[in-house]
Amino acid sequence: MKKESNSRGVLMFAHNNTEIDYFRLAVVNALLVQKNLGIKNITVVTDPFSLAQGEKTLGKRLIKKAINNIIVIEKDKKFKALNQRLYKDTSHTAKYLPFYNVNRCDAYELSPYDETLLIDVDYLILSDTLNHCWGHNNELMMNWKFQDIMYERKDPSLARLNDMGITMYWATVVYFRKTEYVENFFNIVSHVKNNPQFYKDLYQWQGTLYRNDYSFSIAAHMMSGFVDKGIPQLPTTLYKSFDTDDIHSAVDKNTIVMYLEKPRSPGDFMLTKWQGIDLHIMNKWAINRVSEELLEYAR
Amino acid sequence: MSTRLTKALEFANYRTTINNQQAQLKAKTQNLLSYSINGGTFTIDVPLITFCKQLVDEGQDQVVLLDIYNNPIKVDVVKFYEEIHSRYFEVTNDYYVEYEKLRKARKVHKVLDLNEKGK
Repeated sequence: MKKESNSRGVLMFAHNNTEIDYFRLAVVNALLVQKNLGIKNITVVTDPFSLAQGEKTLGKRLIKKAINNIIVIEKDKKFKALNQRLYKDTSHTAKYLPFYNVNRCDAYELSPYDETLLIDVDYLILSDTLNHCWGHNNELMMNWKFQDIMYERKDPSLARLNDMGITMYWATVVYFRKTEYVENFFNIVSHVKNNPQFYKDLYQWQGTLYRNDYSFSIAAHMMSGFVDKGIPQLPTTLYKSFDTDDIHSAVDKNTIVMYLEKPRSPGDFMLTKWQGIDLHIMNKWAINRVSEELLEYAR
Repeated sequence: MSTRLTKALEFANYRTTINNQQAQLKAKTQNLLSYSINGGTFTIDVPLITFCKQLVDEGQDQVVLLDIYNNPIKVDVVKFYEEIHSRYFEVTNDYYVEYEKLRKARKVHKVLDLNEKGK
């Protein structure tokens, strides 16, 4: 892999499952990154099946326009079969599907850039806020603080790994520079991923699903000298919608109208116009439904 | 359902929508009032502007300020002050325009700038 000197870029991981076209989401987001952040260096890590599906539905030309570096790796089929999570397309539809997130801990090795913004494909870049990160004194930043865009909704269970546990950091957006400290951080993330039972017993996270949020939180705790909230946050709040919400429409390259589920009335929605702030959209089907509009605006 | 109750529920829905929309606008403004320079990040607010103006009036040139992470950042205070001063008014003027638009909207579709059919 060619390494550019003093380079800055965005890194995403996209592995489709039987229902969700993560690669398509990566292409949409890559175009949004180009439009709103002005960054052309975009790397997507994917697998042969997801890439072939993307080439079939989007065409090689559009993919090339969106992403200038594609890294193709083989999937760990055993992990894929075991790591299943509940995906929701609002409260009305829920399905257990494979959740392939095993290689995010390799981001440090895979990134060809000196400064990297590692983002989820469903963290839609609707502003230039993340440009604040470039050249920052902090070599590693990620958020523990988040804000649900339905302001009335509160879920305290998302604040910690367990009720008495360490603070949960979100691996949704991570800024890092290539330094020894950050390399050690990612080594710990890998160690957690490779020894989940040991760390689950130690840090007592809930459920059987492996989440990068857990391994990044544990690494953050350890690399801060076993101090809570030791890794600095990004200079922006992490705004989230949930999989019980839906998208009404994409208005332009930085505006989305959302259906938000009312807190005390499941299946009942209110509308909100989300403009000029990056947004994590958990309902993947919803993004795929408006992907044509988003591709049109961001193209 | 009686017309009066329907109207009351419609208004409740409008209130929830406008509250959320105002919070969104505030969040966007906060984001825009963030300014990064020399590896540090600052929140542009009245105390920072006033303090910088004081330093400029004292004839200071290179000064060290603490950013949002409490890291010391060396800046050219004259340029820094000019930048944060103009940004503050750019952002707050936009905020004012958007806020007034929201304040005057009395229907959900007007709050969201959609036509009545929701498109």
